[in-house]
Amino acid sequence: MKKLILSVLVIFLMANVVSAKDKKYGATLTLKEKTKISDIYANPQKYVGKKVLVEGMLLDVCAKRGCWVELSSDKEFQKIRVKVNDGEIIFPMEAKGKTGLFEGMIQEIKLTKEQAIERAEHHAEEQGTKFDPSTITEGTTLYQIKGLGAVIKD
Amino acid sequence: MKWRKWLRILHRDIGYLATALTVIYAISGVAVNHVGDWNPNYRIEKVIIELDSIPSNYEKEEMVKYILSEIGETREVKNSFRPDPNRLDIFVEGNTITVNYETCEVTQEKVVPRPIIRETNFLHLNAPKKVWTYVADLFAVALAFLAISGLFMIKGKNGITGRGAWLTALGLIIPIVFLLLYYYY
Repeated sequence: MKKLILSVLVIFLMANVVSAKDKKYGATLTLKEKTKISDIYANPQKYVGKKVLVEGMLLDVCAKRGCWVELSSDKEFQKIRVKVNDGEIIFPMEAKGKTGLFEGMIQEIKLTKEQAIERAEHHAEEQGTKFDPSTITEGTTLYQIKGLGAVIKD
Repeated sequence: MKWRKWLRILHRDIGYLATALTVIYAISGVAVNHVGDWNPNYRIEKVIIELDSIPSNYEKEEMVKYILSEIGETREVKNSFRPDPNRLDIFVEGNTITVNYETCEVTQEKVVPRPIIRETNFLHLNAPKKVWTYVADLFAVALAFLAISGLFMIKGKNGITGRGAWLTALGLIIPIVFLLLYYYY
């Protein structure tokens, strides 16, 4: 019995030693060609409902469930959210500031003013930040990626 | 009554095997049950420093150095980005620094993983996927076996035909009552 337990431990330790540096999340990436996030914003209708592979820096990560990340664009002042189904992929907060490749479908989300406020309030509560509802004055259309798989570089 | 003897042996040994995972899942179960009230994986500390002024003519890299020296952060910078014209994000290991050019506020968000609880959540929520999925499935089957075999461990008035029947029925009524209360009405 002792030998069995020791053998299991050795196998697990060896498996950890050969672990890769880049961390994979969710489904294996299938696309080879990357799409610039700025191109998505320049012509969103071209991409809605289509699968894309984007690269960016992780600016923010869902603090409670790790169920979304915000990615920097290739252009300043632009970012895009990658949302995954709760529990399907869990992104760690330590990934903030790292870069990664993310694959998923572009989604268009139309929000009324009330829905936009509710969404921002929920986001602020989740991240423990302040939110002023008066900053939202009208409805909006958001674009996000429904994330399927990712590789975060160390 | 040979089958009962084997049932006891299996219940005992599978019970030993399942002990560690049961405790891990129990700790994580309580932790994630209260996800609305606290962050079960990380302790997040926010420190806000208000600077007297922020230079308006600095390029991004210069500004990063300036801010880090102002707040006394000496660790290596992982990355930096300007998500909007009034904001600069600087990423240092374990610290995200957000600079608000309008208010001159520098917010430091220091993230410290909660030891043990975070690891239990990692396994309980099946973050690793892959082979762990099957280990967790096996554990679920083992738990079901322990529950069912437990019903038939002993004979007599304290067994499933006596006291055991009443307590098992009570255990069944609890989820039914809550389902009726919260799910169907």
